[in-house]
Amino acid sequence: MPLHPQQRINRFEKNFSAYRLLIVVIISCVLMYQDYQKNYLSALRVYLSASLYPAQYLINLPKNFIQKLNTNFSEREQLLQENKFLKKDNFELRSKIQQVYKLESENKRLYALLDSQPKKDNNYIFADIIAVSPIAEKHQIIINKGSRDDIVVGSAVADSNGILGHIIRDQIFGSEVLLISDREHAIPIEIVRTSLRSIAVGIGNYNELRINTLPTNTDVKKGDVLITSGLGGRYPEGFPVGTVKDVINNPGESFLEISVTPFGNLKTVNEIWVIQPTEGNQ
Amino acid sequence: MNHQLRNLFFIWSMILLSIILMVIPLPDVLDQYRLPWLKMAVIFFSIFNISLIGIISVWFSGLILDIMSGSLMGENALILAVLSYLSYRFRFQIRIYPMWQIMIVVLMLLSLGEFITLWIHGVSGTMFFNIYDWINVGIAVLVWPIFMRVLEKMQSLFLE
Repeated sequence: MPLHPQQRINRFEKNFSAYRLLIVVIISCVLMYQDYQKNYLSALRVYLSASLYPAQYLINLPKNFIQKLNTNFSEREQLLQENKFLKKDNFELRSKIQQVYKLESENKRLYALLDSQPKKDNNYIFADIIAVSPIAEKHQIIINKGSRDDIVVGSAVADSNGILGHIIRDQIFGSEVLLISDREHAIPIEIVRTSLRSIAVGIGNYNELRINTLPTNTDVKKGDVLITSGLGGRYPEGFPVGTVKDVINNPGESFLEISVTPFGNLKTVNEIWVIQPTEGNQ
Repeated sequence: MNHQLRNLFFIWSMILLSIILMVIPLPDVLDQYRLPWLKMAVIFFSIFNISLIGIISVWFSGLILDIMSGSLMGENALILAVLSYLSYRFRFQIRIYPMWQIMIVVLMLLSLGEFITLWIHGVSGTMFFNIYDWINVGIAVLVWPIFMRVLEKMQSLFLE
C-alpha cells in the first residue's frame, strides 16, 4: 500500500510527541508540589516506596553482608576483650539504674503533689539501618521498621550515645530518617549548665551542628553539654545531643557562632532505637 | 524470544542497571563521583535507538530513581523526560556530528538537567550548590565516547 503524503513514516513519532512531554511535565509538577506539601498524595509515595523496598534491600545487601562478615570474622581475643569491657559497662550502668528507679518514683510523686502532668513515658523500638541516601547533600537513612511495626512519622531516633534525627517518611516495611546534620534540619536544644534554650541547625557536615541565634553576651563555654529541650513537641525532653566544640565571637557580629559536636555517630550508625511516647500517656 | 520482547528486556535491564549504579552504596571516596548514568543512558537511546524507549517509559524510570534516592517525587522524572525529548528532536543533526561535537551536545544537555535540578530545589527552598554535581557532569562528558561505544557494542550483541 503506498504511503499517503500525510502519513508519517516514523512510527515512533508518537512515543516522543510534544503532547506527551507536556502531559508528563504537568504531572511531574503536580507530584512535586504534592510531595513538597505532604498532603493528598503522600499515601501514593508510601505505597510506591513500599513496593520498591525489596529492590532497596537487595541493592544494599552487599554492603550489609560485608559488614556482617567483618563482625563474624573478628578475632577471638578482640571478642573476649570486648565482652570484658561490656560486662564492666553493664555492671556500672545497672548500679546507676538502681538509683534511677527511686528517683523516678519520687519524681512522679512530687509531680502528683504539685498537681501537674508528669513527664511522658517513652517506648523504645530497636531497628537496623538498611540504606543511606546516595545523594551526598541529603543526610537521610532508611531503617527496617515502619508503620507495620507501629512506628509513627515524627518520632525521634537515637543511638546509644545521643539523638540522631527523626522519622520523616513512612515506607510501611521501613521508614526514612532525616539526620540532625542535614541542612534542612533544626533541633531545639537546651544547654545543661545554664538551662538556656536555643536551636541547633545542621550544616551538611556529619561532625558538626551550628547555633547561630545566641547574642554575644551569652554564657556559653567550650565543653558545655546540650540536651533536647522538648519544645516543639517533636523531640522528647532531656536526650543528649552534643557538646560545644567551639565558640567564635566575630567582632561586629551581634550573634555568636557556636559549633557543636553531636554525640551520636551520624556517619557510622548501625543499630538505632526509635523513641515513641507510649499511648494513653500522650 | 521474539523481537519485541527482546527489545523490552534489553532496554529495561539497561535502565535498571543505571538506576542501580546511581543508588548502590559506595565507599566515601567514590561516593562523590557518582556519574549521572541514567541521564546518559536516556540521552544515548533517545538519539541512537528511538525504537526502544518513549517519553512515558523514561518518565517512569525517573520516578523509580526519585523514590529510591529520596528526592522529591517527579524531580528526576521531569528532567529525564525533557532531556529525552530534546535529544529526540535533534537526533538527525547529532547523529552525523563528529565525536567532539556530540560531547558538547551531551555537556549542554547534562548542564540543562543540573539547571532544572537547581530551579526545582530553589523553588522548594533547598538549593545548595554542590561542586561535585558539576565535576561529575564534566567526567560524564569525558567518558561519553567510551560509554557510547560500550552501549553500541551491547546493542549489536543483544539485538540483531
